[in-house]
Amino acid sequence: MTVTPVAVNGLTKFFYDESRGEVRAVDGIDFSCRPGEIFGLLGANGAGKTTTLRMLATILTPTSGAASIMGFDVSRRPEDVRRHLGFYSSTTALYPRLTGRETLDFFARINGYPPARIPDRVEALVDRFGFRDYAGVRVDKLSQGMKQKVSIARTVAHDPPVLIFDEPTVGLDVLNALDMQKVIGELRNEGKTVIFSTHIMSEAERLCDRIAIIHHGRIHACDTLDRLRASTGKHYLEDIFVHVVERAGERAWP
Amino acid sequence: MAVRGPLVAALFRTELRMMLRDRRTILLSIVLPLAVLPIMLFASHAMNERRERRLEETVYEFAVTGPRGAGARDLLDRVRRHAEDTTGGDTPFRFREVEAADPAQALENSQVHFYLDARSAAEVKDMLERDDAAERPAARPPDVLVLTTVFRADRDDSESGASRMRRALADTRRAERGVILRQAGFPLAIADVAAVDAANLASEGQVAGLTLGRLLTPLLLLFLLSGSAVVAIDSLAGEKERGTLETLLTTAVSRAEIVAAKHLLILTVAVVITVIQVANLLVYVGFELIPTTTNFAAAVTPLTAILLLLLYLPVAGLVASVLLLVSGHARSYKEAQLYFFPVFLMGMLPGLAAMLPGLPLRSAIVVVPVANISVAVKELLIGRPDWLFFALAWVATAAAAGWTARLATRALSTERLIAPVAAEAAELLGGPALFPRHVVRWFAILWAVTLIVSLNLETRVDLRVQTLVNLVGLFLGGSILMIRRYRLDVRQTLALRPVKPAVWLAVMVGVPAGMLTGIGVFRLANIILPVPPEVIEAFSRFLLPESVPMWQLLPLLTILPGICEEIAFRGLLLHGLHRRLHPAAVALAVGLTFGLFHVSLFRILPTAYLGMLFASVVLLTGSIFPAMAWHGLHNGLSLLASQSGWQLSSLEPRTYALAAAALAACFWIIWRNRTPYPGLRPWRRSRPA
Repeated sequence: MTVTPVAVNGLTKFFYDESRGEVRAVDGIDFSCRPGEIFGLLGANGAGKTTTLRMLATILTPTSGAASIMGFDVSRRPEDVRRHLGFYSSTTALYPRLTGRETLDFFARINGYPPARIPDRVEALVDRFGFRDYAGVRVDKLSQGMKQKVSIARTVAHDPPVLIFDEPTVGLDVLNALDMQKVIGELRNEGKTVIFSTHIMSEAERLCDRIAIIHHGRIHACDTLDRLRASTGKHYLEDIFVHVVERAGERAWP
Repeated sequence: MAVRGPLVAALFRTELRMMLRDRRTILLSIVLPLAVLPIMLFASHAMNERRERRLEETVYEFAVTGPRGAGARDLLDRVRRHAEDTTGGDTPFRFREVEAADPAQALENSQVHFYLDARSAAEVKDMLERDDAAERPAARPPDVLVLTTVFRADRDDSESGASRMRRALADTRRAERGVILRQAGFPLAIADVAAVDAANLASEGQVAGLTLGRLLTPLLLLFLLSGSAVVAIDSLAGEKERGTLETLLTTAVSRAEIVAAKHLLILTVAVVITVIQVANLLVYVGFELIPTTTNFAAAVTPLTAILLLLLYLPVAGLVASVLLLVSGHARSYKEAQLYFFPVFLMGMLPGLAAMLPGLPLRSAIVVVPVANISVAVKELLIGRPDWLFFALAWVATAAAAGWTARLATRALSTERLIAPVAAEAAELLGGPALFPRHVVRWFAILWAVTLIVSLNLETRVDLRVQTLVNLVGLFLGGSILMIRRYRLDVRQTLALRPVKPAVWLAVMVGVPAGMLTGIGVFRLANIILPVPPEVIEAFSRFLLPESVPMWQLLPLLTILPGICEEIAFRGLLLHGLHRRLHPAAVALAVGLTFGLFHVSLFRILPTAYLGMLFASVVLLTGSIFPAMAWHGLHNGLSLLASQSGWQLSSLEPRTYALAAAALAACFWIIWRNRTPYPGLRPWRRSRPA
């Protein structure tokens, strides 16, 4: 029997904000991801994307509902979840005083990659992401583009079957953003399950096999781009997004 | 989930590697203390020597004044001769009289080091009586010469010269007294009249052990805290700031493993730095750069050194845990630095337990972490080890270290600390959204103003003015100011909501019950911190002055506090805190703040207790009205009791117990009819992963 890489059922996260009181950041969402697909979470800032992904990465605890990564429940088996997961976001930084090679060795080791195979894995990643010339240089001496390569290599160092990329292109220039998209496409082709969150329509259009539109903590549409086009009668993702969000607003305030 | 050794080792090795590559940490933690200590010691040693030499070589200049100047000069000649006789002409104290028309002015202008005022005892007595001096010397024969050395203690050379002169005068006088007695036929020298001797049964090691035992723990704590602080702050707070903590939290290691590795790192650094510092110190003691009369080597045998290391191990562990906890609770490096200073001061306190005279380890101190080790170390060094209590002390401190490390682990699972959500929302929204963030500072300012007003007005104006200033001016005025400044909704902020009728019945029961239990709380507090009866009497006289008629007292002490204090504390303060803290903590915080505003120390606890009752009522009913009524009626009943002479503070304990039961019944009614304050935080805690 094949395990569903990512399964989310009624996942909810409320938090208490001093100024706003109870905030429903994620409000009972459901979705699942298949092996070898890029699942896009598309939403405006504050829609609940990052909170959802942080719950999947076990940084935040769900208020209710359930989610699992490779069959491991995020609340009950957090270490197992994280062992099968690579998490990348613009806020996950690298240790500045380690070299690129040391970084990969360290993250492979603490994520449970077999110790005997770590040196080979590190060298393979150094070659794959093309930073052999500066693999021995401390991270704080690297340029933004080089850091990005080390950071992606760090995410996949332990060869996890599921990868989360939370707004990975935020703050990158056009070329680095394109590089990032290329790498994500390659990882999908290798059979990895990728959850990719963004608020940039063109990225989602180009990369995602399926797209979930999230607004005010709820998923209002979830399908392939073609089916979303058919159901909304709009061609461009931007128009589809606006259409879905407006309809969600109408439902919330009849 | 169990902590996995290989993962902790991998984390520890990487942390250590990164720390060794951090020049700032190495510089601040190791190089700087190592360099600063010798520089400080050399400088202080050199300066002391120079100062001593200068004072030794100085020829002290002085003036003589007073009606018996001739007698004084005669005596000074004898002093000079006596000094020459006893030191073979090479007197270390050299002095020279100079002319000064106004010796006091000359001293002020540094033209003389001191001056001698020479008078007869009768003249001195007259002078003191004229000046109405509080202290008078013992009666002397009226014709006796009294020499007063007048100097300035804020000048080294003046104080030293005057002191040397007094010593020289006393020596000469003693010698002359001896000569006179011998001439009169007294058979003995004065020193031989009754010889006093002493015999010390403690060994040299035990004497040194006592000194070392008192000093060692505070010194070690100083090294441990200061040495490892930089690493500790960097390890969690620094990682949060750099964004690497989130990366680490998404890996397969557990929170406990992260804390274990970081704890191990801080412990390693603390121990290494302490060993280096102690070795550093020993080198300076060995080279006599630190002058000491105690032979510390006699107190520390190799076995004692091993036992000391064992005893101090849980202390180092606790220090590392506490610093990690501080670092875990800070959101940034800067915030952690702010927390560090009070932690440093508090952390040093238990180490001073060994300095308390007559405190044995076989007492309640054995359960106080660090303080117990401090006393145990002293007992070990004076050669009186109590092995059973050593073990108990070790276990108590180690348990505290483990518990604190657990709290640090929990901090890594506290979402508001590791992933603040919409942290800046309030700053952007401003107005009412910003109020919860600012409410504490508003009340801190209000408290400071209340304190200043109370201290200044208490003696100048009567009760009526002071009450109006406090209640109307500060509490009501301050509340209106906050409402306007943050554009707060008055109905919501002040909880102006109706309640179920049964609540009013509960309030009627609660008023006398709350008053009696409040007095019970005061009596309990009085056992621990006794209040002198005269303080309470003075306070009663101030609060219930006979000059103020009852018709004025009644609204001043019942209606006004019921409105103004409730608006400020159960209105504004409670509203500001209700989303920040859990409901019980809100009641506690509001009550304690209310207590602190009742400036007198003995009133803090009872008023804090009442404040908590009122806050609980508001939280349960969602309305300020029952609290206002309770407060006003409570004050009215207290006034009535006072005027009628009821002795409520000396009732049987069972009366207070009955009152407590009535209070419980009152809260049971309120609970059954509760309409909770809107928007309270639920009792929920995230699980450590």
